Amino acid sequence: MEDVLEEVVSSDDLKFGDKVFIYLHCSTEFMQLYLCNSRGYKFERIYNEQLRSSVITQKAQFEYAWCLVRSKYPADIRKGIMLLEDLYCNHNDSEKRDCLYYLAIGNARIKEYTKALNYVRSFLQVEPGNQQVQHLETLIKKKMEKEGLYGMAIAGGVIIGIASILGLSFAMVKRN
Amino acid sequence: MVLDQDVLTVLKLLMIGESNVGKSSILLRFTEDEFHENMQSTVGMDYRTKQVTIDGNTVKLAIWVSHFNDTAGQERFRTLTPSYYRDGQGAILVYDVTDRVTFMKLETWLNELNTYCNKTDIIKMVVGNKIDLPNREVSTEEGLQFARRHQTLYIESSAKTADGIKCCFEELVQKIIQTPGLWDRHTLINSYGNGNMGGVRHRGQRGIQLADDAQLHNRPSNCYCSLI
Ligand SMILES: Nc1nc2c(ncn2[C@@H]2O[C@H](COP(=O)(O)OP(=O)(O)O)[C@@H](O)[C@H]2O)c(=O)[nH]1
Ligand SMILES: [Mg+2]
Repeated sequence: MEDVLEEVVSSDDLKFGDKVFIYLHCSTEFMQLYLCNSRGYKFERIYNEQLRSSVITQKAQFEYAWCLVRSKYPADIRKGIMLLEDLYCNHNDSEKRDCLYYLAIGNARIKEYTKALNYVRSFLQVEPGNQQVQHLETLIKKKMEKEGLYGMAIAGGVIIGIASILGLSFAMVKRN
Repeated sequence: MVLDQDVLTVLKLLMIGESNVGKSSILLRFTEDEFHENMQSTVGMDYRTKQVTIDGNTVKLAIWVSHFNDTAGQERFRTLTPSYYRDGQGAILVYDVTDRVTFMKLETWLNELNTYCNKTDIIKMVVGNKIDLPNREVSTEEGLQFARRHQTLYIESSAKTADGIKCCFEELVQKIIQTPGLWDRHTLINSYGNGNMGGVRHRGQRGIQLADDAQLHNRPSNCYCSLI
């Protein structure tokens, strides 16, 4: 809970439920996600209800992903990342900013630091002065340094532009 | 350097108010002592922690500011509202003294807070921000009146000049600490229980230096630091 990378989704947002199957309908194909134990989330339920009525709103998908990437369990975080990537690629601009931010957080939490930093840098290309995201970048670098990884990443030249991978672009959010 | 075992408790504080009133700027001034003229709007929820010592008690503040809940985000992220408010022990309701609309909207924010916050005795602080600007639209008297009517603390601030910022958090924390039942010295143990703090440390019955009863009033009285 020291910082945004360690903050964990509240236990009240987590609810115990039955084994659930989640179908994520992507624009291209049908993807199936499977929850392997009985942990069910409140937002997950909302998400599933909307699936049943076969309309997944971006909103429900984002909310569900927002909980998953803040979970203690890496498996959840990975699912959250998938959902955010889908949102990022297939939906309109308004969510892109939020998606990128939580993609960076999710990846950092499962120690995918290179990816996390790429998301951060992509964000900062569009909004160079964003203090919150600069702060996140500092946190990620600190974590890497602690684990002795930062120097390595630089030396290995593994930092590549994820922007091109995701076809990144999002509109500057206008104030007011 | 204060060691972690000296931390009395962890308090959750929320920043609420219209977009652009300066919530993020107040938080940034308080946690990093910085101000950015061109602050970008908040992404999702921002979360910062800071350790403060007030009246000899060291507490850790976990402060939230949410874009989901301000004007631009609230339509899109309505269902996230309860998660944001849950377990909040202190709320900072911010308006911009140069923009009357943001002051009039305080009522709505207060209602939302009362609806979603599960702690009924959450301490509220109304903050009139941007007092460094010349084109003021809301007078101090009006701000105070609002605060009195709703039994909240009141302060005026400028994130730009740092006026009133420290005082705002200190007053709020002081008031929370003085409210029995609102906080619990084991919060720390719970939140660190799963992890990286190297196990639970036993905490002795360390006294809390409370102010005399005479100093504990319900009125927004002892919070005028930035007022003329
Ligand atoms: N002059 C002045 N500008 C401020 C003050 N606080 C914030 N601002 C500016 O007001 C704008 C909005 O601030 P921000 O913190 O992003 O507001 P938020 O949307 O409530 O988080 C930014 O351009 C800040 O630089 C202040 O006390 N004085
Ligand atoms: Mg903000």
